[in-house]
Amino acid sequence: MAARSSLMHEEKQLENVPAYEFINVNSNEFHIGTFRDLWLDVLNPKVYSYCNSAPEIEDVEFIEEMGIEPKTLEELKIICSVDSLRSGHEDADNVPSDPHLSTLKLRKRRQDYKETLTRDTVDRHEVYANEMEMISVGKKPDNPRDLIPEGEIILTFNIMYPILFQRFKYVRAYQTLHVLGSQRLSDLRDAICCVSDLQVFGEFSNTPDMVPQFISKDHYKSAFFFFNGTFFNDARFPECQDISMTTQEWARTRDFPDFKTAKMEDTSFYDLKMKVGFPYLYNHQGDCEHVVILTDVRLVHQDDCLDIKLYPLITHKHRVVTRKCSVCHLYISRWITTSDALAPTDPCLFCDQCFRMFHYDDKGNKLGDFLAYAYVDPGTFN
Amino acid sequence: MDNFRGPVKADCEELLARFQATESVRYEQFLEVWRDMNFSSIFYSKPEANERRMFARLIMSVASPYFFPPYTFQIRVAGLYLLYGLFNSQLITPKEKIRIALKDWEDAMQFQRDAVNAQHYDVLYIFRKLLSDKAFYFTAMPTPLCYGEKKEDRKKTEICEEFVDPSSRPQELITTDVLEEIGNIHEHYEGMKKSIFAEPDPNLNLIQQNLVPKLNGAILTYSSWQWNRTESEQQQDAGEGPSNQESSRRAQLIASIKSRSYGQVAEASKSRRHRQTQLVPADGADFSQKLPSKKKRSPSLKTRTQLRFNTQGNESEGLTRLWCLSAVKEEKAPEKRKKKFNWNPEKSSDPS
Repeated sequence: MAARSSLMHEEKQLENVPAYEFINVNSNEFHIGTFRDLWLDVLNPKVYSYCNSAPEIEDVEFIEEMGIEPKTLEELKIICSVDSLRSGHEDADNVPSDPHLSTLKLRKRRQDYKETLTRDTVDRHEVYANEMEMISVGKKPDNPRDLIPEGEIILTFNIMYPILFQRFKYVRAYQTLHVLGSQRLSDLRDAICCVSDLQVFGEFSNTPDMVPQFISKDHYKSAFFFFNGTFFNDARFPECQDISMTTQEWARTRDFPDFKTAKMEDTSFYDLKMKVGFPYLYNHQGDCEHVVILTDVRLVHQDDCLDIKLYPLITHKHRVVTRKCSVCHLYISRWITTSDALAPTDPCLFCDQCFRMFHYDDKGNKLGDFLAYAYVDPGTFN
Repeated sequence: MDNFRGPVKADCEELLARFQATESVRYEQFLEVWRDMNFSSIFYSKPEANERRMFARLIMSVASPYFFPPYTFQIRVAGLYLLYGLFNSQLITPKEKIRIALKDWEDAMQFQRDAVNAQHYDVLYIFRKLLSDKAFYFTAMPTPLCYGEKKEDRKKTEICEEFVDPSSRPQELITTDVLEEIGNIHEHYEGMKKSIFAEPDPNLNLIQQNLVPKLNGAILTYSSWQWNRTESEQQQDAGEGPSNQESSRRAQLIASIKSRSYGQVAEASKSRRHRQTQLVPADGADFSQKLPSKKKRSPSLKTRTQLRFNTQGNESEGLTRLWCLSAVKEEKAPEKRKKKFNWNPEKSSDPS
């Protein structure tokens, strides 16, 4: 009996070793918690710990395990020294002028080509991306209690943007988020930023100062993830509804197998069974649908950001060209007007200042006839 | 960055092939080849942090498969040395890690055991050094996966056949145990069939005779054929005489066919007379200009609008620009068209 149960146990373990379902496309389905346990079982804790073991101890262990003389080890160390890998060439910031490796030949051509481009301004976005990286790279928490425990798992999610613009059909715009295995699905939901959460509804041409501070996120809190046949609903607030019901009822009348439901705030990523590289769904604001892809699962490394408070961590954001005010061409639009006799186009975009100067007199009286709505630029999160 | 994959793979394979030619697994030998090729210079570039990181990530993902089956032990050793060399000579901090998947870990451990048994201390030392340097990410899959990414060409996953042991699947399948088992089953089968027929007709073949010896014979013939073939291939490689000539003759033939077919120009139909095809000599430079024109994009919305407004604006110079509410300043001189970077010069130029 015991042998049989251990056999079953083993089978279960094998099931959770991720392998390709389709080569280079996605993996088979595996339980993330068990996957982590499997890694921790086969690894020596030293290998994934944050502190480096002393080299002397390593040496002694190596000598003992291999049964070799200390002299042999010394020889090995000299032979395998890292310094001997380096070449005499000291200028690492330039491609050598007469490369023979084909990679370098290509890079040399690329570098020469880039020099022909005249770009003397530093790319703002590049600077910003670097800054974003600098916040998190190798960060240790100030408070030791916020340190991520060793052997924790980091999951990488790509969240695709819904098709906001026509061109998003061709560019796969996404943001990348790192979450910890012990975090809840609701943590991921809160970290996803999407412009449809920020919309403000209503027409405000008569009362431009009265724009309410409530955005869609505060009004419509329902959302769900659809992972692997289960709807994970957000039920943290009394206003939340099970918006997956529509889909489920529709499916029920069409002879689909039943879907399960669960609460996203009660589920951690360790409880999930998922496929790496497989498309899943995040739905919020009723019909704002994001494709969600788990691209990577791995153990935490000592060079990762180790501050638990910074997770979920955004590591990549697609940047969108912002729509500028059509008057000043300088500031990002805040207002959109329609049936506006003063505007050159219909609809027309304005920044806050230009909108007020153009459409109202000194006393704040409305000039002309138009409808004004608040406009949230898709580039807000740049 | 993916455009670098081809050259990087070529470079790595050249290094591995040169190491394979030494017929050794010693690190000194590897180091000699490494230094001779000046391989650490592969990371040299303008210090653009992001580009460097992406490149390091790429080269790690190219190099790490060589550490795993189906490659031979020697290539796997070379793969390990290569990862060690790359990991230590990359120019970014924190260093880019080597990804190792859970399903491959057992192979790595088996590799380590083999090395212990054969007392390859340099291999063991380097593997342990990488582990203690925290050079690995322990991951679910060997590469990050993202559904619906562009399909790469097959080159990426193609394995270099010279680095792999000749396949021995048929031999593995038919072992002596299996033969015995088949023999037993065969006997059983014979008995069963005989029991069905009360009086067996001597002319009727109830079962195939001598199944086991035949099977064994087939396997032996296969393995001897495989061995002979590799032998003869090696001989051919050594004395490149006849095969070389043959291939060059073939190349000449193809070239002559090509020149004939490109030498003629089909006459266009009447409606296309204004765009009559012209014969362009198939020299490198001209050809490369011709190719991109094939998939010429329609002008962008911006240029189209500009064109439209420019034609109108010619009549009344001081016209306000409708879409930006500001007066037209002096017309910009037409910008010089940027030439796009050509990633594959071999493909577009030099058609012969």
